[in-house]
Amino acid sequence: MKVLIIEDNQELARNIHDFLGREGYICETSETLEGAKEKLGFFQYDCILLDIGLPDGNGISLLNLIRAEHKESNVLIISAKNALDDKIIGLEKGADDYITKPFHLAELHARIRAVYRRKNLGGASIVEFNEISLNTDTFEARINETLLDTTPKEFDLLLYFLVNKNRVLSRQAIAAHLWGDYTDNLANFDFVYQHVKNLRRKISNAGGMDYISTVYGLGYKFNSHKQE
Amino acid sequence: MRLTTKFTLWYFGIMLVVLLIGGAIVYYEIQWKISRVEVVRHQRLNDIIAQQIQQGGDYTEHPTRKRATIATIPEDSVPVGVASFYTRGTGWNPEFQSNEFKLVVTSFYTIKGSHYRITTYSFIPSFYQLLPGVVDSFKWILLLLLVLVVISGGLISKYILAPFKRTMRMIQSFDLKQKAPIHLPRTRTSEFRELNEFLTKMTDKAREDYQSLKEFTENASHELQTPTAIIRGKLDLLMESDIRDEQAILIAEMQNALERLSRIHSSLTLLTKLENQEYEAKEPVCISRLMREALSSFAELMEMKSLTLQTDIEDKIYVPLHASLADLLLSNLVSNAIRHNAPIEGSQGLIFVSLTREGLVIANTGQEPQVPTTELFERFKKGNPGSDSIGIGLAIVRQICDLSHFDINYEFRSGLHIVTISFQPRLSASKLLQNLSLPLLSTLQP
Repeated sequence: MKVLIIEDNQELARNIHDFLGREGYICETSETLEGAKEKLGFFQYDCILLDIGLPDGNGISLLNLIRAEHKESNVLIISAKNALDDKIIGLEKGADDYITKPFHLAELHARIRAVYRRKNLGGASIVEFNEISLNTDTFEARINETLLDTTPKEFDLLLYFLVNKNRVLSRQAIAAHLWGDYTDNLANFDFVYQHVKNLRRKISNAGGMDYISTVYGLGYKFNSHKQE
Repeated sequence: MRLTTKFTLWYFGIMLVVLLIGGAIVYYEIQWKISRVEVVRHQRLNDIIAQQIQQGGDYTEHPTRKRATIATIPEDSVPVGVASFYTRGTGWNPEFQSNEFKLVVTSFYTIKGSHYRITTYSFIPSFYQLLPGVVDSFKWILLLLLVLVVISGGLISKYILAPFKRTMRMIQSFDLKQKAPIHLPRTRTSEFRELNEFLTKMTDKAREDYQSLKEFTENASHELQTPTAIIRGKLDLLMESDIRDEQAILIAEMQNALERLSRIHSSLTLLTKLENQEYEAKEPVCISRLMREALSSFAELMEMKSLTLQTDIEDKIYVPLHASLADLLLSNLVSNAIRHNAPIEGSQGLIFVSLTREGLVIANTGQEPQVPTTELFERFKKGNPGSDSIGIGLAIVRQICDLSHFDINYEFRSGLHIVTISFQPRLSASKLLQNLSLPLLSTLQP
């Protein structure tokens, strides 16, 4: 997947670049609106990460151009403002999703995948890994052919793991993914622990391999290389 | 009291004083004038009589002698330097058979070497007889003035105060958030012009301050969130490198602190935005639907904590609230009820939710708070200092309620934390609790 990162902060751009690079994505970065326009003139991208506050203008203004000439690209707005107006305008102008700083890189990745699935895979919204398959339309999770009896949050969690395979997912990142921001109280990691525990048990009961492991002190990881 | 009424009353008061003084002046003036005229007439009469004496002859039956007394007096009785004087007082009037006001004028003459004293008198209207006439006429003048002042006061003030009223209307509809400066109507009255200039300046300043505050909040948010995002990203990347266990713990602790930082920051930014009234309710939102959604999104957490949920939610209840705020309000309350839930003796943890047209009640079992419940609405106040929440959720809840003119109340009773929100401010929140048709009441009174 080819990704264009339009972000004026070099460090942040590099974080995203590094993280997505390990996923095998081809990433290019642009720090300005002008640079982005130039790149968009020459190349096609699967996904465009667009920061709103750029030194030479508002990122929203780029949306018109993107929508006119890059219909296939997914656009994900990155904003620090968390202003409701920006979000509404951005989505109205044709952005596919909106993420607020500071985000977890795994969360960003999950959003990119979700947008990509929605748009590019033409309805075949199945995420598969070995014996596990998730249907993101019907929210059904299967191990081989056995239907897993997962709750919506567990399904979400499993999808998050599958998208971010072989990554250490911190409890904070998981909590933020499952319950969103603003819920002051719910950085409650007991719940994360419970969810992960239940999910692992259900997968094992259905005969799946226990790919999820605890990373000491940090969180959890989905090991795709795990062998029995 | 209205300005016009005040003016009218003052004018009336001043008029009353002026008329009283004026009445007195008129009364004494008339009285003096009448005496004066009479005295002059009598002096002339006395002169005529003196002339008659000088000419000689019998004038005894002459009309001039009707009320005259003529006496010759010795030289030493003639007052020096005084040709005539007059006295006033009541005297018997035989023609009318009554005591009347009598004016007596006495003049002294020296005719052919003899000294004469000639005294004439007449009855004039008494001053007391004049008084009612004066009072009466002034009464009518006062009445006429009053009517005129009241009518003209109403009309003139309507005309003069019109620019003031227009200014008032403009100011009432002034909104800090509006982009355009206010345009106050032109007026020729200098005071109103000054007022309008002052108001224009003040509102411009207020708008500018509001804008810069808003910009500051947004900039602060922007400038702080970006470094936080960088640190978080770096930590995410660091976690995936080959690290030892003790390093992992350090990273985890940093992650925790960062999480708090980011949450505190975004909550404070939100609170500021709420205070700036940036979220206006454009249309009523169906809070019944949102409540059900909030409950279902937390259903798993409740299940995990083995909490029993009892609901009584009426359908199709609309409240004037921004949809995002309504969502925030409900999820903060529900998550609070879950997080601070502790089972009471002998039973599981409970959560009650009751939503009616009047308001919302959310109650949960829990430990007794260590600070008064009203203080829990303050920022960074926590019922349990040990908990790792940042204690800003309820401050946000209250801010949203204040903004929407909802009445909110928090109390702890019989092991239950009860948050009550009344959508209709005239119905106080605590009253709502009494009208509640929930199994809650039976639990409250075991």
